[in-house]
Amino acid sequence: MTVFSARSWASLFHQRDGRLTREQQLTPGGFGLGRVPESNKPDATTQMVCGYCATGCGLNIHLQQGEAVGLTPTVDYVVNRGMACSKGWEALTVLAAPDRATTPLLREVSGQLKPIGWDAALKEFVSRFKQIQSRHGEHSLAFLSTGQIATEEMAFLGALAKFGMGMLHGDGNTRQCMATSVVAYKQSFGFDAPPYTYRDFEESDVIVLVGSNLSIAHPILWERVTRNPHDPEIIVIDPRMTETAMQASQHLPLFPKSDLTLFYGVARILIENGCIDRDFIDAHTDGFDRFAEHTRGFTLTRVVTETGLSDEAVLQFARTIAHGRRVSFWWTMGVNQSHQGVRTAQAIINLALMTGNIGRPGTGANSITGQCNAMGSRLFSNTTNLLGGHDFTNEQHRRKIAGILGIESARIPAKNGWAYHEIIEGILRGRIKGLWVIGTNPAHSWINQNQCRDILDRLDFLVVQDMYHSTETAQRADLILPAAGWGEKEGTFINSERRFGVLKKVARAPGEALADFNIFKLVSEYWGCGEMFARWNSPADVFQTLKECSRSQPCDITGIDDVRMIDERGGIQWPFPAGCCDDSPERRLFEDGVFFHSDGRAKFLCGDPKPLPEPTTARFPFILLTGRGSASQWHTETRTAKSALLRKLSPQNPYAEINPADARTLGIAQNDRIILASQRGRIRVRAFLTPAVQPGQIFLPMHDESTNQLTDSVFDPYSKQPAYKACAVRAIRDG
Amino acid sequence: MSRISTEIAQKNTVCSAGSRCDGDDDGPSLIAFLLDDQQSLTAVDEFCRQDERQSKPAMAKYYTKLMPTAPPGPGQQYAFDVDLDRCSGCKACVTACHSLNGLDTGESFRDVGLLVGGTTANPLLQHVTTACHHCVDPACLTACPVNAFEKDAHTGIVKHLDDQCIGCQYCILACPYEVPRYHRGKGIVRKCDMCSERLSAEEAPACVQACPQQAISIAVVDVEQVIEDSEANHFLPAAPEPRITLPTTRYRTKRVFPRNTLPVDYYSLNPQTPHWPLIIMLVLTQLSVGAFVIGTVLESALAAGIAAAFHAVHSTNALLFGLLALAASVLHLGRPLWSFRVIVGLKHSWLSREILAFGVFAVLAALYAASNRLPGIADGPRRMLGWSVSVFGLAGLFCSIMIYVFTQREFWSFANTATRFLLTAAVLGIAATWLTILLIGLGSPSLRELTRGTGRILALSLVAAMSGKLLFEAALFRHLATRTNSPLKRAAQLTAGELSNAALARFACGLLGGVAMPLFLLLRTFPSGNDEMQLLLSVVVAILFLACLTGELLERYLFFAAAAAPRMPGGLRP
Repeated sequence: MTVFSARSWASLFHQRDGRLTREQQLTPGGFGLGRVPESNKPDATTQMVCGYCATGCGLNIHLQQGEAVGLTPTVDYVVNRGMACSKGWEALTVLAAPDRATTPLLREVSGQLKPIGWDAALKEFVSRFKQIQSRHGEHSLAFLSTGQIATEEMAFLGALAKFGMGMLHGDGNTRQCMATSVVAYKQSFGFDAPPYTYRDFEESDVIVLVGSNLSIAHPILWERVTRNPHDPEIIVIDPRMTETAMQASQHLPLFPKSDLTLFYGVARILIENGCIDRDFIDAHTDGFDRFAEHTRGFTLTRVVTETGLSDEAVLQFARTIAHGRRVSFWWTMGVNQSHQGVRTAQAIINLALMTGNIGRPGTGANSITGQCNAMGSRLFSNTTNLLGGHDFTNEQHRRKIAGILGIESARIPAKNGWAYHEIIEGILRGRIKGLWVIGTNPAHSWINQNQCRDILDRLDFLVVQDMYHSTETAQRADLILPAAGWGEKEGTFINSERRFGVLKKVARAPGEALADFNIFKLVSEYWGCGEMFARWNSPADVFQTLKECSRSQPCDITGIDDVRMIDERGGIQWPFPAGCCDDSPERRLFEDGVFFHSDGRAKFLCGDPKPLPEPTTARFPFILLTGRGSASQWHTETRTAKSALLRKLSPQNPYAEINPADARTLGIAQNDRIILASQRGRIRVRAFLTPAVQPGQIFLPMHDESTNQLTDSVFDPYSKQPAYKACAVRAIRDG
Repeated sequence: MSRISTEIAQKNTVCSAGSRCDGDDDGPSLIAFLLDDQQSLTAVDEFCRQDERQSKPAMAKYYTKLMPTAPPGPGQQYAFDVDLDRCSGCKACVTACHSLNGLDTGESFRDVGLLVGGTTANPLLQHVTTACHHCVDPACLTACPVNAFEKDAHTGIVKHLDDQCIGCQYCILACPYEVPRYHRGKGIVRKCDMCSERLSAEEAPACVQACPQQAISIAVVDVEQVIEDSEANHFLPAAPEPRITLPTTRYRTKRVFPRNTLPVDYYSLNPQTPHWPLIIMLVLTQLSVGAFVIGTVLESALAAGIAAAFHAVHSTNALLFGLLALAASVLHLGRPLWSFRVIVGLKHSWLSREILAFGVFAVLAALYAASNRLPGIADGPRRMLGWSVSVFGLAGLFCSIMIYVFTQREFWSFANTATRFLLTAAVLGIAATWLTILLIGLGSPSLRELTRGTGRILALSLVAAMSGKLLFEAALFRHLATRTNSPLKRAAQLTAGELSNAALARFACGLLGGVAMPLFLLLRTFPSGNDEMQLLLSVVVAILFLACLTGELLERYLFFAAAAAPRMPGGLRP
């Protein structure tokens, strides 16, 4: 007998199999998954909605003994059909980060954050906040909420803060992204109601994208565009050549913030050439003649002068709309984050209304939302609106909600609270002394950052409730409350097309981190208003309450039995009133031409374009644009930067895009270190020379911490949304 | 959810009975309850299970059309087909590869780069997804000393045998596309195998399944067509020269790329990872080979008595450095235990050949060093042994040169590599000989003769060799004036920029050890009776040797760090 056979001798010198090979072995995963890594073979799968953007993709979570070991995009989810972007694929990875907050942290006199238990933390929370209230009045406390927690949690927070703790002022970070659309829709349609369903991307023959880099910011919605079988004309309106503009059939690189002029000019051309749907206008709208009159001043010459586009480009755009049978208009932050965002959004709405491009397949004036639950926040966060899209100043509404919640209606403030920037100003003026920040990062994301940080530092007590203790805001907090994240808790999200999706608990939160819902529950108990929330015991309970709040509203969801029904149906779009028999998975609004104003008509609203709030000068000769950097980055990167892979797929250093011609004038070469300065700050970045940005303009991605040191605190007068997209800067070589 | 509801409801009853719940009594117990509840996972209990038995992949309905209808025939192979007009830069392919293949933190076999160019009126932004190109003539496969790469005869897929790999990382240097990646924890490289396990079960590779725009598909390509396309440089603008390995990936676009299309990271200068064990190995083997060659020459020239004394010290000296070099080279391997496998790659791998040549060199050198003490070895055979040590040493050195030449990097051209390596052998061979002279001198009176005659020649040759080498290296900086961003210009920029400290130190060491010290030796005499002068001589020779050695190590560090690797377009890294 030989110790080694010939075969094993051979494998000693040439080994085809073994431990290392087996580590990469795949195995059929079952559950319709195809092959998966052997060690991750699931024993069950469950589907839930993604927690990054408002596309609201379905993710199929692979479970072993109830715990997530992997994920794949859900194949039969109507939103994403088996696809996800890089962030979605990495959604579980970022939960296991070393800087997760695992215990409450209290800032000591020495300035160090020290771990404490929940009991001590909550006592500190209550005593400090109550002390502030007793000294400075009930309204000296405020909260800043988020579009990234579950609807039920937002509702709990809003109700607890305003009805239980006596706060008046509270706002969400949705002010930074969606407020403009909210106001535009409310004024035009009578309710904050994005009318579309994603299927409209596939049914249009003309798709107009305004201020939206869809293929980078919403890759899965871009997927829907690419699946359009009608070979659509795609028009991108954006000062920059973006990835989306690259793939468009028409790119209109107009002068920053001149879109309002462009849309009025195009409306004039359409009206003068009779390319409007008179029947629709007469039957379903109000104020058209006034609007037509208003557009008269927007001659082609004026449009060309103010937008910097050619005659032909403008006429071609107008012709394309006129000839389109199913024209859909879509916008995101390029419109919303503007000093005249509401009027611009409404100019888009007007184009859709006057051409009858609404309520039909492949049409609509459609705002695409940013955060996973911005839409939940818009209806149920109890900040700008009273729960369920109601009005704080309306007594009937207050009584209705008080009745549903079983509280005295006097507990509900009869006044609207302050918007985000008014809260920040309130701190500066000494009116707000205590602030509770939940799941957002103003010290990075708020406009004019240096000032914002200075103001936050003036607070008597700042509480930050977040998944990570490392955010720029958490680092300034007096008390950090550790929150469980997406995948570690339950609830619902509402996506951009009004679809409820389900959140499930598939991962264990680290340490003593708790679901935001349960933190609110604890705060209510420690604050002494636990009785008021006796029925608020689980997100599922609260969902039932929210259903009641929605009754008879445009967002009525009383027909949804429970969360399980949403899960089984692959998401349900609002409205879904009791007795709703339309169970098609993709539904749009206004198919009957009836809008939500009391007369059922949509309104044409318009105003005069205003010049750039901070025009360029000899000292600050460039217009600074900001926006999404890459598809693997998200907002302030509190989550995406926790994935090694997403980090690898993101730009390596802070950089600014500058046109090569400008760079040549300034003596700046590719990759040079440069200094960008505005009246508010100076930052150091690297130069990325690219003709994608127009001469006279500089682009900075919003993800870099320093970007908002330059931006200017200017707000849309109606929506109070910050105008991140344009301010004046100068650039010089560093050293 | 029901459990928590009931529990909390019960607590609430208690609270409301006591009229006010201020947390003093019930708070902590509620906290304990909620913390406990937070750790219980509910998704499976709360929601109905999906059907476990469904074994057919649900995604098949989307990806079937992205797969070839028939397997490759003779003269054909599988290839990735990328529709650039669809690639939008979402990078889902990268994350899906990582996730569906169960790769480690940050590891993925796919990457996405960006091409830019054009004019302000018509700018270009083109994302490019890239993975292994499953080349017709894979450089990784040829380079690998242990045959850890296989090109499947039917599918053409280039597969890496993880268990065969010894972690030498030569494939990483050889592949023009940065495809094989080293996994430090496992001590091996890993790479894309086109998900061959999936393909053979008619499932699509991870990246094909995951691309929302369906930009990636699997095609069957004709090998002849690949060769023709490579000849015509019809691959991807600004990608490495396809003629080297004949990559099979088909990049398609209807767009006409502007003539100034470049990768967005084209001007980014990043020093390459220096491989310190390799640096030490190269420099010390060259020292050893140089020392043996010079020693053998000297021995035949010197008088018999002195020659014997010289041989005893010098061959041991040279051997020790040689052995140190081989020890260092082992440290470079991820799995050194399996290094004996290099024998299988002799037919094609310069690394195998190098290891074999230096292996024989080391054995012969040891015999030669010991030959004085071994009885019965005549002078003739001993001399023959000496020459054969030199021959195998030079053969090994030639293999070392070819290892880098094979990668076809401009900075590692034959002229550049051979000049550096041979002059290092000369410079350090002489320096080591001086060290030998010093060592002999400390115990023997024969020093005087050595320093006088031979020493003079040695010192002069050292000055000549080192000056020549430094001038040759400094000549790199002439590329700074080149207007295009050639690989040599990048090497010059890196050397003059980020690596300038190392470069300054390199030239300082070279001048000190290779010029100043030998000149000093030439101009002074060192009478043997004078202890003070002896000490001075020791110091001078020690400085000469250490400075020369340090200088060469730094030179070799720059050789690695400044050699811009060819690669596919990368991401933004200003």
